Amino acid sequence: MHSRLFFPTALLLILIAGNSCNTTYQGQALQYKSYRIANTQQQDSALLTFLKPYSDSVNNSMNGVVGIAEMSLDKKQPESTLGNFMVDAFYTMAKEKYNTEVDVAFVNFGGIRLTQLPAGNVTRGKIFELMPFDNLLILQKVKGSVLQQLLDLTADRGGWPMAGLTMQIKDKKAVNVMIGGKPIDPDRVYTIANSDFIANGGDNADMLRPIPQITNGYLMRDAIFDYISKLKSQGKNITATIENRVTNAQ
Amino acid sequence: MLSRKKFIRQAALSAGAIMAGPSMLEAAAYFSPLKLTILHTNDTHSRLEPFPMDGGRNQGLGGVAGRARLINQIRKEEEHVLLLDAGDIFQGTPYFNIYKGEPEIRAMSTLGYDACTIGNHDFDAGMENLATQLTRHANFPMLVCNYDFTGTPMEYKTQPYKIFKKGNLKIGVFGVGIEGKGLIPDNLFGATKYLDPVQKANEVAYELKKFKYCDMVICLSHLGNQYKGNDMVSDEVLAKQSENIDLIIGGHTHTFLNEPLVYKNKMGSDVVVNQVGFAGIILGRLDFEFSKFSGKKLAKSHSISVSQKSGG
Repeated sequence: MHSRLFFPTALLLILIAGNSCNTTYQGQALQYKSYRIANTQQQDSALLTFLKPYSDSVNNSMNGVVGIAEMSLDKKQPESTLGNFMVDAFYTMAKEKYNTEVDVAFVNFGGIRLTQLPAGNVTRGKIFELMPFDNLLILQKVKGSVLQQLLDLTADRGGWPMAGLTMQIKDKKAVNVMIGGKPIDPDRVYTIANSDFIANGGDNADMLRPIPQITNGYLMRDAIFDYISKLKSQGKNITATIENRVTNAQ
Repeated sequence: MLSRKKFIRQAALSAGAIMAGPSMLEAAAYFSPLKLTILHTNDTHSRLEPFPMDGGRNQGLGGVAGRARLINQIRKEEEHVLLLDAGDIFQGTPYFNIYKGEPEIRAMSTLGYDACTIGNHDFDAGMENLATQLTRHANFPMLVCNYDFTGTPMEYKTQPYKIFKKGNLKIGVFGVGIEGKGLIPDNLFGATKYLDPVQKANEVAYELKKFKYCDMVICLSHLGNQYKGNDMVSDEVLAKQSENIDLIIGGHTHTFLNEPLVYKNKMGSDVVVNQVGFAGIILGRLDFEFSKFSGKKLAKSHSISVSQKSGG
């Protein structure tokens, strides 16, 4: 068997080795398919077993209901119900936790980490998914001219959730900016509630980098929890409306 | 101790196996059409369990146990499979807040991922944490060619590329990461140096094709699919400015593509780009069929026919 196969085998090896430098394979045809993964399909039992100790612990601490959403809240631009709910939480809680007047609060659109908060019971875990980052809710005192630069950046990026002001987006700039019912004053100093992520230049908000941050270490996620509790104490559920805070100019 | 007779017989058998076994297999592979199945995910974002049944639009979708079952099934049916991920493995569910990525990386090792690249959110619990999770729990490499991690906790924890041999095919896979400035907080990105993704990608792809003789070069990209109205580097930009990349598996923009996009590169050849949304809702599958060419006959530019796979 050995001697009978030796010659053709050696020949083949030479053929393959000899060709390896100038033989290539080129992809000629591609067939694609997308599989939707769902819990209705069969699950791999080994993975379920692996996951169980983690999921038991996660579900234990995260499945508690913290509030009720009266409606499904969505993430959209230039303005959305989910964005308004979040930014109202930051606006309200920043005033309370820093015991000061706040002119404007905003959230970067990319900082809304759920595309939807479904109607019904809202679990603790759901708020972690909405705001998974340990970002801080901080204050900054900025001149109107600098705030205008920030608002232009938000306009260029399609519109961010805003509280305390209304604006329109025209040619990727913020126009008709009204703060507390008055047009923005480039020389006035405004108090803004912001995340440390944006204040540190996140989403290229470089104009905010040099401005000192007032912080007490309060997490943005805790602001959402506290806001939901506050609403509950007032007999209110989680809800939000579109109020034409940020619109596209026609 | 083995008896002399037994020893000779075993030696002869092993020699026979060495000469006949692999070479016969190689011979068989050499003459049959070559097929490679690529399975891929991106932006799985700590979604280990399916979305909860809470009336949300994604309820019941995703989850590593369902994905594992499907992948195992496909592996039974196909000889040559690569399982790849385009980054942002971390962040998005409380699993990450509590365990900092351990179950995500362990699950990927169990699923048999061949490689992944790094996403901006993989920095979220710090570079030291990422390095620890990879060292302890990953049996696959994290590939990135345009982050210089010198002097950071991630130094030596990634590699620019890896070459996979699948039958007679040599597949080069490399990774590119997105610019950290404005996206990854300075304290997390640390002393990482961001290098031009197009330039680095072209350098690595050239090396893989021309010096390592790869038949196919795959880029795992966390650059994002495309950006309208600005000049940020995207998969579209990279594809058009590339020379030796055959396929870009993308991420970052959470783009659900109904079908792969095909662009012409600088040489006029096709570059395929795919991305499958986020959260492991979709597992992407790309079946490539290869033809053999002698180097001299290989066309300077080539195109690929793309169609939807039926059944399976």
